[in-house]
Amino acid sequence: MAKLDGTLIETDVLVVGAGAGGLIAALSAKRHGRSGTRVTLIDSWMIGRTGHTAFSNAWMIVALPEDDIDGITREIVAGNDGIADQLLVRDTLEQSYARLKDFEAIGMKFHRADDGSYARRPTRGLDLARVMYPEGGGLEYCWRLRLALEAEGVQLIDRIFVTGLLRDSDNRIVGAAGIHSRTGAFHVIKARATIVCTNAMTFRSGFVRDITGTGTLLAYRAGAALRNAEFSYVRPGTPKFYFEGITFAIQEGAHFVNAKGEAFMREYEPDWADEADVPRIARAMALEKDKGNDPLYLDMSVIPEGMREYFIQSKVKWMDYFFRKLGAEARTDMFGKTPYYALNQMTKMGVRTGPDCRADVPGLLAAGLAQAGCANHFAGFHIGLCNGNGWAAGRSAIEDLDRLPPPRLDAAVIQLLHDDTMRPLQPAATAESDRILRDLQAVMFAYDIGILKSADRLQRALREVEALDQQFQELAAPHTHELVRLKETEAMLLAARFILGASLLRTESRLSHFREDHPQRDDANWLVWIDVLPGGKEPEFTRTPVPTPLCPVLTRPVRPTRLNQRLAVAGN
Amino acid sequence: MIEKIDIERCTSCGICDDVCPADVIHMEAVAVAPEVAGLTRTKLLPVIKFREHCITCFSCEIFCPEQIVDVHPSVKNRPRPW
Repeated sequence: MAKLDGTLIETDVLVVGAGAGGLIAALSAKRHGRSGTRVTLIDSWMIGRTGHTAFSNAWMIVALPEDDIDGITREIVAGNDGIADQLLVRDTLEQSYARLKDFEAIGMKFHRADDGSYARRPTRGLDLARVMYPEGGGLEYCWRLRLALEAEGVQLIDRIFVTGLLRDSDNRIVGAAGIHSRTGAFHVIKARATIVCTNAMTFRSGFVRDITGTGTLLAYRAGAALRNAEFSYVRPGTPKFYFEGITFAIQEGAHFVNAKGEAFMREYEPDWADEADVPRIARAMALEKDKGNDPLYLDMSVIPEGMREYFIQSKVKWMDYFFRKLGAEARTDMFGKTPYYALNQMTKMGVRTGPDCRADVPGLLAAGLAQAGCANHFAGFHIGLCNGNGWAAGRSAIEDLDRLPPPRLDAAVIQLLHDDTMRPLQPAATAESDRILRDLQAVMFAYDIGILKSADRLQRALREVEALDQQFQELAAPHTHELVRLKETEAMLLAARFILGASLLRTESRLSHFREDHPQRDDANWLVWIDVLPGGKEPEFTRTPVPTPLCPVLTRPVRPTRLNQRLAVAGN
Repeated sequence: MIEKIDIERCTSCGICDDVCPADVIHMEAVAVAPEVAGLTRTKLLPVIKFREHCITCFSCEIFCPEQIVDVHPSVKNRPRPW
């Protein structure tokens, strides 16, 4: 037992993670709370400058007062093949206009058309929903929110990496423990309500490879159930460069082709073709790979010369730098031939909550992508949903302050968390978590594990992950940088087991979950969530029917109206 | 991936360290040319500590007020899935 040495911070509402979900949850808690309510937002790195949202376009689905909210709710539920919290989706859409007004009030500017109306774009896989985007993208979105939170008196603490949630003797969550991600100094934050908003597990694959979503796994360890582990956000991409704009390029005529030059999407998705949503494109790409028709390409040669600069220049600052520095190479790669893959961006696994964003454990809430509201990804409904569940979580947290007694810290629990956090720190050790990570990526990113699934391959992958877990137990960290990465790798290994376990259990195909041995969607048996419950040593996988309080689970429209319109113009 | 920081022109503001999402850059006391014989002179300067973990987000370059950070657009450490 190492001597306890650290800092204790007290607050009312603790928000862990400063992406869209966390920033909005903190704003919501501050605005719903009575005067003097203490709200604290912590992040592993710099609030407002780092994290997934900061590097995104910050596209968000917003329903204006004249929009058909019932219709958009129905198509998002249908677009999730029913695996969605209908009340949360509806609530998110209903309050999206109020959030837009909040954002404008703190200085965000949204693109407008020449006539002064908001510039809005359709998004892949949906018909009625429209996406809006703030000028300056995610960096501006996050920074404006940081400044607003500071102005409204939210306590912001950068560089706290959370290593565990605190439980009291009644199994209520009473805050979190962690380390300063540079100095390694131990911190305890005592809170009456804790909102976990730490994004989703990426296995360091996406364009924002610093995010690893460890908070979700900490919630599990603290007694919360997780759900949607079998679903993931897989998108077409190329490791050579990152191109955030495929949705728009396809709307301008770009399409995927295989090594033979065949535009293969129409074969798999006769109605939507390349405008199908990302899991369907990923599945088609994997099937083409399986047939030996790779490498696959995104053919952007049809984009007219006058439009090309639009795609090469990006409103997102880091991508603008990227393309500018690539110079002529960017044009050659983007409009020439660069192999594309279905890249696994992140799991859709999140904490199980109701539409109020409360987890199963008292005192714990979840928001952002750490909350399992939807199983599918739509451009604009990642941040759109974060705006919604962040607001709901902040509101619920404030309601809980009056219901729950003041928290009491248990010194023994803190000591255990401290010892567990610091145990791997050995100055003479070598940093080896990257080796385990590479092997884990090789298992989880294989196209016939991550996209085309089958029972035998999933079981094999599970054995491989368990073997990696054994190797991992031997590792130690020579410094804080590696200690953080070790904790992240540990969470990724746990997440991999949940993903493979839930994928084995769901014996049907739906969204990104495609079982070659069970290729059909089976609503009679599988209109359910698979929940991962913390049991004894092994997780327990259970099934929870998805309620349908607002609309029955619909099939998707045969073809989106706008695509029909374009094809009609083209004479098809 | 981050290539270099022109230390000669660095004002030690530390912004590159603050905005790095991958803990790659650390501000550290680095020995520089002595001003007084016999006295070791140090200056707080950015050190590229964990280059292999750079995610090529360009933040250090974007936010450097002196424009002295160079990030190369190649992304060598990104996993190839297939």
